[in-house]
Amino acid sequence: MSNTLFINPTALEAGLQAAFSARNKSDERHAAAFERFARAGLPNRRIEGWKWSDFNASVRALDPVEAFASDAVIAPSAFAGLKPFEIQIVNGRVVISDDERPEGLRCGVMDAMATIPELEAHGIVSLNVAMNRKALGLTVEEGVSLARPILIRHINDGAGFSFAQTLIKVDCNAKAQIIETYEGEGAGFYSHLNHMAVRDGASLQRYVMQETGASNIVHAMCAAKVDAEASFDQTSFSSGSALSRHETLVHFWGKDAEASINSAALVGDGRHSDFTSHVVFKEENCVTRQLHKGVAAGRGRNVFQGKFEVERKAQKTDAQMTANALLLSDVAEANHKPELEIYADDVECAHGSTAGALDEDALFYMRQRGLNDREARALLIEAFAGEVVGEITDEGVEAVFRAKVNEWLEAQ
Amino acid sequence: MLNIENLRVSVDGAEIIKGLSLNVPAGEVHAIMGPNGSGKSTLSYCLTGRDDYEVTGGSVALDGEDLLDLDPDERAAKGLFLSFQHPMEIPGVQTMSFVRTALNAQRKARGEDEISAADFIKLIREKAKIAGLDDAKLKRQFNVGFSGGEKKRMEMLQMAMFEPTFAIMDETDSGLDIDALKMVGDVVNALRAPSRGFLIITHYQRLLEYIQPDRVHILADGKIVKSGGAALARELEKSGYEQFIKAA
Ligand SMILES: Nc1ncnc2c1ncn2[C@@H]1O[C@H](COP(=O)(O)OP(=O)(O)OP(=O)(O)O)[C@@H](O)[C@H]1O
Ligand SMILES: [Mg+2]
Repeated sequence: MSNTLFINPTALEAGLQAAFSARNKSDERHAAAFERFARAGLPNRRIEGWKWSDFNASVRALDPVEAFASDAVIAPSAFAGLKPFEIQIVNGRVVISDDERPEGLRCGVMDAMATIPELEAHGIVSLNVAMNRKALGLTVEEGVSLARPILIRHINDGAGFSFAQTLIKVDCNAKAQIIETYEGEGAGFYSHLNHMAVRDGASLQRYVMQETGASNIVHAMCAAKVDAEASFDQTSFSSGSALSRHETLVHFWGKDAEASINSAALVGDGRHSDFTSHVVFKEENCVTRQLHKGVAAGRGRNVFQGKFEVERKAQKTDAQMTANALLLSDVAEANHKPELEIYADDVECAHGSTAGALDEDALFYMRQRGLNDREARALLIEAFAGEVVGEITDEGVEAVFRAKVNEWLEAQ
Repeated sequence: MLNIENLRVSVDGAEIIKGLSLNVPAGEVHAIMGPNGSGKSTLSYCLTGRDDYEVTGGSVALDGEDLLDLDPDERAAKGLFLSFQHPMEIPGVQTMSFVRTALNAQRKARGEDEISAADFIKLIREKAKIAGLDDAKLKRQFNVGFSGGEKKRMEMLQMAMFEPTFAIMDETDSGLDIDALKMVGDVVNALRAPSRGFLIITHYQRLLEYIQPDRVHILADGKIVKSGGAALARELEKSGYEQFIKAA
């Protein structure tokens, strides 16, 4: 690996170059990934799809070093009550609990991916691929319904940058629930790349809870391949951070499959949440439902970008996307970009997007009934975000999500 | 009980209530009738403390206490209730949970204990029956998809639950079927007490046949232009407003 990839490297680029060079076992595919990153750089506001979430500007200011291993004591998860099988990724380092594994789950550390063809143009994904030699690997064996959820806690309490990869396979006709939490009070940049294969007839429920401290910078990419008659159901909650973006890329590789991609963002003053998704329909008769509810207070910013891409072969696609924003102050921002790109002729696809403030008539009505201003507002906001939470089929998970919404409301 | 002295109210810079005085003594039911746009709803919003209703003069007191400085929820806790002309829908909020939250908020503000879940369910079932709303309605989101008449029934359910000391009913009778009209009369008559008062805004004599008002006032162009006994309502029904507005 030469040191000439960057002309006049910034401190960050030099730091990343040094970290990359220090990695052993870099074959030419890792080198190629690093080169792609070096050419593209971290995404900035001038790049399509990154206008509202400028990682280059935010990450550039960080310590250009890798995050240290942390020895902080980690409090029990809010999901502990669901008795999950817990894995922690602390500043990029994987710690698998020695807890007994649910039957039918294989879990270990494996070789990381050396490329993801669909994402080669993605600067952060290229960097992640270049930097990771090992990945957390999880396989749910054929036909197994996991008795307990898998909980992956991403804990970022350091400064500097860190990277991790997770490779998940839910084999044919298997069923699993995966909960991912993004936590920690650190001020670093964390990139997580999740690659999921949901095989024929399998079902995967993924829950994401973005609840880091205000200084964290987080990018998480989940690329899911969904095969025939499989289902992928995802519900995310975010209270934002200095900059956080959770991306979902779904490819329907088989017929008669289904996905739901729901998200609620409650973004307080000075925070930033971004949910970006892209669903590619490659085969017939697949269904997708997407609902996003974003609440922004103070100078909070909530970004939603959703794209449905329906290829020629994907007849009878049925896809609907709804994004609603609620702005609680004059300076809060909601940025929505719903997109449909359709090449098949026999499809039903729709999207809708709204933005507005709390309904003053409803507020007065509630206050006339005895609720004070704060209670009335909280009830309306809870009802607004609650629509996403209400879609969660697992009662235990739903309760934790509801509690998070209330926690946020109480902190306002 | 309710004392309004020379009240002036502006909305968006336009004066709507133009020096209105009205006294409703404890134990009495007064009716207000008046042409469309005369300021009846504006008066009811002003009395209950809605923003954007700017009081430019006069005073309002309930049982001797100045109301105008209180927030809407503080007025509600004092027992002031408005049955809205156009009740709101609140999507995403369950009816039972809303009514319970409201009831407990009022009780808390008055320093009373919260109602237990069991007592609440019993109470709301009982009142829903009186208001003519079935259990299925109670399980829905608040007023969402309800018909106009059902929304009015929901107002009466709440009035029956909250047992307000002073209730303003803004055209509760409009859009109601004959049975519902009688139900409204029953709810009011059951609540009538020496310590309570009612202000009933209506366009029709009909409701007043169920609820004998102690006084009837005609509101025109932001002022009370004529007051009288129950007979005044019957007279209006026959001859319309014209003579009273001209005379004023
Ligand atoms: N927010 C507002 N902005 C401007 N004008 C208003 C506003 N609210 C009410 N008004 C005006 O004030 C006047 C009185 O309205 P109000 O609703 O009080 O009448 P009302 O007597 O209740 O009529 P109705 O019998 O039709 O219910 C009307 O001319 C109305 O247009
Ligand atoms: Mg009116």
